[in-house]
Amino acid sequence: MIELLIFAAVYAFLAVLNLYRLAKGPTAADRMVAGDSMDILVCCAMVLYSLYSGRGIYLDIAVICAMLGIVDTMLVGRYLEKRRWLEK
Amino acid sequence: MPKTKLPAVLSTFCLCFGFWVLLTWKFTAQELIAGAAVSLAAALFASPFFIHENAFWLFNPARLGALFAYVFVFLGELVKANLDVARRCFAGCKDVNPGIVKVPVDLKSDYAEAMLANSITLTPGTITMDIAEQDGKTYYYVHWIDVSETDREKAGEIIKGRLENAVRRIWP
Amino acid sequence: MRIVIDILVAAGLVFALAGTKGILKMPDAFCRMQASTCITTLGTLGVILGGALYAFFVMGSVGTGVKVLVIGLLIITINPVGAHAIAKGAYKYGVRPDKDMEIDDYGRDFNE
Repeated sequence: MIELLIFAAVYAFLAVLNLYRLAKGPTAADRMVAGDSMDILVCCAMVLYSLYSGRGIYLDIAVICAMLGIVDTMLVGRYLEKRRWLEK
Repeated sequence: MPKTKLPAVLSTFCLCFGFWVLLTWKFTAQELIAGAAVSLAAALFASPFFIHENAFWLFNPARLGALFAYVFVFLGELVKANLDVARRCFAGCKDVNPGIVKVPVDLKSDYAEAMLANSITLTPGTITMDIAEQDGKTYYYVHWIDVSETDREKAGEIIKGRLENAVRRIWP
Repeated sequence: MRIVIDILVAAGLVFALAGTKGILKMPDAFCRMQASTCITTLGTLGVILGGALYAFFVMGSVGTGVKVLVIGLLIITINPVGAHAIAKGAYKYGVRPDKDMEIDDYGRDFNE
């Protein structure tokens, strides 16, 4: 089905749009939010492309992508929480 | 370091092994034995960190039925809130009225509190920021995109909706 | 069946579009977090359900469909933890909304 490829391309395009907020965002929290949603959009695009092409390897990469995307968000969140205390 | 207990290790092992079977989806003896060994190692390492109560409490038919009902209640709330936030986004992102509300919660178990907090966070329009305990009662600090009610009890009714009753039916 | 799959994925796409527009246009950081939740929930749920139906009924491969469902379960159960951490961290770091908030209990309790 060619529609799956088109949908995957649109999801990837939305991820590229998030890159604008990732580059511009005034604070670190904005950048992290944009990065997190970019990660999830890329994961969705990967699932759709894997179903289109019929290759299972992209699904495994999507699992790892979904798991590791959370780790960096939590890491930056904890760092921001403690950083003001460290600077005093 | 807390002491490892058998039920905690066993429940973590079941979780890990279930995920192994779902992800590989091959039922040869070799795969299953390798999965069991890896899950046992992971369970021995990780069980003191995230099993603090009896996790097998969930496994009886009434609670599984309540969990099933909870999924549908949650999906209904999710679709309603999603439509609301999507309408705000397409309408130009100007009619937002944010605020942080302190909401009282009346739940006993730790799992129930975590489940309700995650459900509130997962519903678009509300994010749980912190959990505080004062005088034996539990409070959530919820960031809310459209504050229509500044009284805390009524705001809690609007935010939690039917979710709290559905959660209380699973973890009394 | 193909029409059902197309409708599901397209509905997910509409919500993902709304979330992306919210992330680009919303006035402050916390409202952007709310918009990104829209992507996480229905934006992925449409793709996951559509993809699982495609794998089960068009490809006829049960293992692939189950793996797609596991990806959806992982995203939906794990992601609120990250949102929670980033919201709390941003507030403690000193990120504040542009205009005055209607009610701010967290600042009242923890920030004097």
